[in-house]
Amino acid sequence: MVIAEVLQHTSPELFLSDLKARNKPGVLSELVDKLVAGSPNITKRDAVLQMLESREALGSTAVGPGVAFPHGRTLAVQRLTVLIARSRKGVDFDSVDGEPTHLFFVLIAPPQDSGHKYIKSLAALTEKLQDANLRKTLLAAEDFATFCAALRED
Amino acid sequence: MHPQLQKLVALQDIEQMIAETQDQGKELEGMGFSIAGLEALKEKATKLAGEIEVRNLNYYRRLTGRFGHAVVPVVDNLCTGCFANIPASFVSATNENKLQKCESCGRILYWP
Ligand SMILES: [Zn+2]
Repeated sequence: MVIAEVLQHTSPELFLSDLKARNKPGVLSELVDKLVAGSPNITKRDAVLQMLESREALGSTAVGPGVAFPHGRTLAVQRLTVLIARSRKGVDFDSVDGEPTHLFFVLIAPPQDSGHKYIKSLAALTEKLQDANLRKTLLAAEDFATFCAALRED
Repeated sequence: MHPQLQKLVALQDIEQMIAETQDQGKELEGMGFSIAGLEALKEKATKLAGEIEVRNLNYYRRLTGRFGHAVVPVVDNLCTGCFANIPASFVSATNENKLQKCESCGRILYWP
């Protein structure tokens, strides 16, 4: 799966340029609010939030460096949906390396998806975000279009 | 939404997460994700199951055994489990306090 395919599942309405929340529960809540506001197919806020909270109980998704990938499947969505968010100041998201988290890629998938599109998307993103220069560029990107363009680049 | 349905949805989501972690744990760990909280997640599922009325939970378990998923979304007035038509009257206000079941396959219905 290439990044361009992953980006087909997001939109400018699913981009949060700078998160207001300053802690983990606040960030999760803000991310879900944006998912509901930005995606006409997602209406069950509590179900999505509960699933993401459960996922964090399994182990923090802030695998870094500086990046978190909150993800999971829920009955509350009918198709794979990707939300991108940034926190310029960085937040304590219980990261593996203890450093603040600045970039968030949220992947929400329905209970069933053919070909494991969701796991493949997750793998593509975690691999791509290993690049320190890319992370810097993404944090500085002016808007959604610039952000995606940088992410698509090899 | 019916409070019991809300819990059944949450339970199904968590149980799927547990099953997938058991199946694909290595793949997830390869991406850098820790699955150290698997036991904690199982405890969470047990606690949640304890909050569901026994007859509803038994029904959920029976359906899960038979179909894999007990709760299914209704999309375009169709049960996505068996594709039977779900009458519009199912979503009426008088039905809001009941758990709705597909008349054809018996799965618990959820309007996402
Ligand atoms: Zn059915």
